[in-house]
Amino acid sequence: MSVLAGDLREAMTSSAMIAVKNLDFYYGQHKALHGITMDFPKRKVTGMIGPSGCGKSTLLRVLNRMYDLYPGQRATGEVMFDGRNIVAPGMDMNRLRARVGMVFQKPTPFPMSIYDNIAFGVKLHEKLSRAEMDARVEDVLHRVALWSEVKDRLKSSATALSGGQQQRLCIARTIATRPEVVLLDEPTSALDPVSTARIEELLDELKKEFTIAIVTHNMQQAARCADQVAFFYLGELVEIDSTDRMFTAPREKRTQDYITGRFG
Amino acid sequence: MSADQALKQASATPVAAEPDRWRVGSALVARRRFMDRLATVLSLCATSVALVALVSILLTLLVRGAAGLSLVTFTHSTASPGLNGGLANAIVGSLIQTVIAIAIGAPLGMLCGIFLANYGRGWVASTTRFVSDMLLSAPSILIGLFIYQIVVAPTGRFSGLAGGLALAILALPIVVRTTEDMLALVPTAMVEAGIALGARKWRVIVFICLRAARTGVITGILLAVARVTGETAPLLFTSLGNQEWSVNPAHPMASLPVTIYQYAGSAYEDWVQLAWTGALLVTLGVLAINIIVRVGFDRKGA
Repeated sequence: MSVLAGDLREAMTSSAMIAVKNLDFYYGQHKALHGITMDFPKRKVTGMIGPSGCGKSTLLRVLNRMYDLYPGQRATGEVMFDGRNIVAPGMDMNRLRARVGMVFQKPTPFPMSIYDNIAFGVKLHEKLSRAEMDARVEDVLHRVALWSEVKDRLKSSATALSGGQQQRLCIARTIATRPEVVLLDEPTSALDPVSTARIEELLDELKKEFTIAIVTHNMQQAARCADQVAFFYLGELVEIDSTDRMFTAPREKRTQDYITGRFG
Repeated sequence: MSADQALKQASATPVAAEPDRWRVGSALVARRRFMDRLATVLSLCATSVALVALVSILLTLLVRGAAGLSLVTFTHSTASPGLNGGLANAIVGSLIQTVIAIAIGAPLGMLCGIFLANYGRGWVASTTRFVSDMLLSAPSILIGLFIYQIVVAPTGRFSGLAGGLALAILALPIVVRTTEDMLALVPTAMVEAGIALGARKWRVIVFICLRAARTGVITGILLAVARVTGETAPLLFTSLGNQEWSVNPAHPMASLPVTIYQYAGSAYEDWVQLAWTGALLVTLGVLAINIIVRVGFDRKGA
């Protein structure tokens, strides 16, 4: 192992925003994650790749405890975030989800105005004056580069936006609650290439402020956006390393085979 | 020798002519075509029988009902034969009882539908669903008798409120079913997106799911209105009917269907005429609601 890579890994662990340790996950009797241990470094983009059903989305849904919605799904192990194990009982789920936001595969604008889509999440956690809310809405819309497109129709329905615009609105809605971590579950797989490029540009901006975890099936996307990449296979974390090393000199043969498209 | 024989035999059998592949199975095709036409004709016949019946009912209703329609119909209450009565008390009574029914049935039904759609997995839910579906097809006179037993008999008087309660029980399962069905159409991703922002489940249901399903839910409530305004049987034992003007829900109350029922079979010509007019009004009301539902909501894809 080169000194440089060692240093990098050292730097990454020391500033881990989320530290996962020996995490197992079960869908009823079925064990979907096997002893996952990895860090999500602060203000870095962590790409998660692997074939369908390998557990990458499952891991993502542990990080904001989305799995709690469904009886029979449970996680054991440790996921440390700001000094607390978030998979332990007694977690304030709504507080956690305000701090760990999530963007989904399909854009999911709520059936209300563009403005209200953003205000909905903010109102859950903060009491803002009208002017403060206006400022918040404008700010996040600027940050997702949507402001100029929608500033004249903030009060009209969000469902009338194009798919790419809807997804940017969903990202705006997520960062409006001022989370520290943003989880993205294949955020561009339902979008055209132009919209995809805009979202990827956006990620570069967002990582200055947020810690980002992105699940993707698109190898180029992982290579372009991520600082470190984790490869999952059959519920196990096969390999995790800086993006450069992952795509140029992976240590595992399975990683090599997957990223070169020899299996999937 | 044997090869020679085989050759002879082969040439003896006439070589089958290359079949015309355009005509292969043409008998089968012809039969299918015939069956297709037959089925079309039969279903057209069935449709026209139903349509003729419907149009004839509506036309008769329109012609005979409109004959008695005048301002008096709306300004005067029912009166003794020959006194030029109207239907004002019956119209207002029907409105009041429908409002009571929807005011009780719609919120209860929506809450029940929300429960079934979002938490409906255990035996409580499946029992509720079963009972609700059974109620949907229960004979309405039984519901009238039920309210008679638990409201009219103990209080010792027929009342508009009892009528409204009976109609509420009829409206309930319709609202339950449509609310549940419409909420089920809201994508799971929408619910998860709300939860992911840190909203509690009830907030997601009320402010996101119900909003997404609102046209469908409103449609269900309007259909319930249409259903209960035409009901006679549940009112016979509950609100009874009233010859006088009365808007007090604690007293017996007139309604269009009960008035129609009482007057249609009477021996007085003007009463029979009022029954026709009342029937026309009920039909127009229900028709109007159905048109509102169609035009106003269906298009928006609820």
